[in-house]
Amino acid sequence: MKNSPQFALTLRKLALLFRRDFAVASSYRAAFLIEIFQALFGCASFYFLSRFVQSAALEKSLPAGTNYFSFALVGIAFFDYLSVALVSFDTSLQEARQNGTLENLLVTQTSLPVILAGSSLYPFVLMSLRTAIYIGWGAVLFGFPLREANWLGAFLVLGASVLAFSGLGILSASYLLIFKRGNPVTWAILGLSSVVGGMMYPISVLPVWLQHIARLVPVTYSLEGMRAAILGHASTRELLPSIAGLLLFAVILLPVSFAIFSWAVRRTKITGTLTHF
Amino acid sequence: MVENFALSLENVEKYFPPTASGWRAFVHPILRLTVPALRGVSFEVKQGEVLALVGANGAGKSTLLRILTTLLIPTRGRAQVCGFDVAREPAKVLLQIGYHTGADSCFYSRLTARENLVLFAGLNNLSGAEASRRISELTGPFGLGELLNRQVRTLSTGNIHRLGLARAMLHRPSVLILDEPTRSLDPLAAAEFRRFLLQQIVGVHGTTMIFASHTLAEVEQLSGRIAMLDNGRLLTCDTLAGLKAAAGADTLEESLEILTRRASRETQ
Repeated sequence: MKNSPQFALTLRKLALLFRRDFAVASSYRAAFLIEIFQALFGCASFYFLSRFVQSAALEKSLPAGTNYFSFALVGIAFFDYLSVALVSFDTSLQEARQNGTLENLLVTQTSLPVILAGSSLYPFVLMSLRTAIYIGWGAVLFGFPLREANWLGAFLVLGASVLAFSGLGILSASYLLIFKRGNPVTWAILGLSSVVGGMMYPISVLPVWLQHIARLVPVTYSLEGMRAAILGHASTRELLPSIAGLLLFAVILLPVSFAIFSWAVRRTKITGTLTHF
Repeated sequence: MVENFALSLENVEKYFPPTASGWRAFVHPILRLTVPALRGVSFEVKQGEVLALVGANGAGKSTLLRILTTLLIPTRGRAQVCGFDVAREPAKVLLQIGYHTGADSCFYSRLTARENLVLFAGLNNLSGAEASRRISELTGPFGLGELLNRQVRTLSTGNIHRLGLARAMLHRPSVLILDEPTRSLDPLAAAEFRRFLLQQIVGVHGTTMIFASHTLAEVEQLSGRIAMLDNGRLLTCDTLAGLKAAAGADTLEESLEILTRRASRETQ
């Protein structure tokens, strides 16, 4: 019986700590809503994946001479470039805000776009190293086909992808600058891309209306081009439609995102929220 | 002849949007600017002069300093640093200023002091050789010798602030802007820091300095003139003797109290 007040006290402390976290988390209402939609995107991805793996036409929808392992490995490895592009700008801003260096960076003779671009270089290089290791393990242990890949074509697709994805990343950073947290731009693009972009299954398994939406998402062109270059042994000329699609995204997204970013920086200098988080 | 001044503020006003939480936070960036932070502030600071900003919390000191560092854009009026407009020519303004706040966390704590300085020197357009030379020049006077190769997380608060000042001085700025530089220092470290500011920054380099502080001893010791802010308005900008004479008081503390009370009576 002696222990029961102590137990009740501990329970109360646990409840207080839970309530603290809930109160802080629920003050960011957008983040709460995002969690709900993220679950929807996750659920949809698994549904279409199950349709794909249960389909008798599975083999036919893969590039000739490859298997599902190679298909999925390329999908997962290169989809992460989109994640890095979207998250790295956000992360560098958040980190600078949190470790107190943002103000000091902003009063140097280096513009914020250059600071953000420079801060995203390391994550991109790390991502490339990780992708190489993924593919290396796949080739050494699990028969991932490397020999006939068109590496020049793959690099061209990758370069065009990084340009297109960076536009999305800058849009995402603009949102973060203005609203500080709970970035729906990132989750909307990542969520939609993970369902319709062809990461785990070919887009041919999607309903026709979703296949149309897939054409509006840059990662679709990136993964198509990458698989064609690495698994389908496509020539560089055959990769041109994918590269052109990605460059078109870049041409549209980069100026628009830079304009929005400039507006966001100016606006936060007016509202006084540039260095808040 | 505004260009002759290191700092010049003409009728500077700054308004912020009202604080918004919950779903209203989504319209915060486009809300009307209705909350006043600075109202019609005008003063000049000559080259080599040291000006202290004093006033209660929320008086507008940090807002004013942030306008001078281009981190904020004034709503109305004009602020110039060495003749360059902070809103229209921010890049030229940034060439002229060094900025340091009293915040404890303002470096990459896992990098060494030298690595941090090299990074910020590069971001301030110094070449590798220039950065090395400048760091060597600053090492002695700033007492950074043995500290340079240590990770910043292992440095004391006092040493972090010395490092912060060294960073602010790397590109030889004409104007040094300090926001409560000694707020996290113990009294002894703060006194040492003030001596250092007077001897090295003002004495040796002749740098113009504007700083905000709540420590009146610091204000008396460092500043040539004192600008007193109250609710965003500039009450006075004068020497210590002038301030005391205007208030008819013997101490700075008394003067501030009298002038604030007088201002609040006038606004009622």
